[in-house]
Amino acid sequence: MYRGREGQWAFLLHRLSGLAILLYLLLHVFSIGSFIFGERFYMAIHTTYDLWPFRIGLVFVTAGVVYHAFNGLRIIVMDFTGAGVAYQRQMWYAVLLISAASFVYALLTLWPRMVGGY
Amino acid sequence: MIRARTFTDARQQAHSNAELNWWVFMRISGLILVFLILGHVYMTFIQVSESDATFDAVVGKLANPAWKFYDWLILSLALLHGANGARYSIEDYVRSRPTRAWVKGLFYTVVALLFAFGTIGLFSI
Repeated sequence: MYRGREGQWAFLLHRLSGLAILLYLLLHVFSIGSFIFGERFYMAIHTTYDLWPFRIGLVFVTAGVVYHAFNGLRIIVMDFTGAGVAYQRQMWYAVLLISAASFVYALLTLWPRMVGGY
Repeated sequence: MIRARTFTDARQQAHSNAELNWWVFMRISGLILVFLILGHVYMTFIQVSESDATFDAVVGKLANPAWKFYDWLILSLALLHGANGARYSIEDYVRSRPTRAWVKGLFYTVVALLFAFGTIGLFSI
């Protein structure tokens, strides 16, 4: 893999987070949509999804979505303004900071539920 | 696929109008999805827990046409945005032409089936 500077890492993380979110979305549409097969089928999937590894996974999904969203905004700013290209590195660190903050926020907010299991 | 930094570059690099339109679509749908998805994550994950997402809760929420429309907008925009993003990845990493055609065909089929499944689910309540 080509090891460039921040721009390359931003691109790689954008792709990986995008593919991860897409995979989650496909599973999510199936599991939520499965209510059309009736309550038993729906609950069979969702009692499994309520186990603690999946709860932790959701915090990572949240942080991944926030990264993808804010890095996407950074890309849009780069695409349509010259200043965006000049400050893309600084903006990327801001995006990382926002993603880390949202990870911590989600973890702290959901912590009682994660250990309490409700 | 377009590797451009600005819209002017993108217009010059695009091999077809369709490719340029997808490039623009990714930016516009992305901008809309930022609000739709972050709102959705906040309302359905930060505010309520997974065990609250019971059968009755989902059916009750989707009885409201506003939520139906909100969720359907996410479903269609996110699937198109995600499918096109995955297409970029497939075109970059699957080098053999016949394999690429199979991978794409299979992938588009799964996405189309899920879109139909989700739409039927949303509007069958």
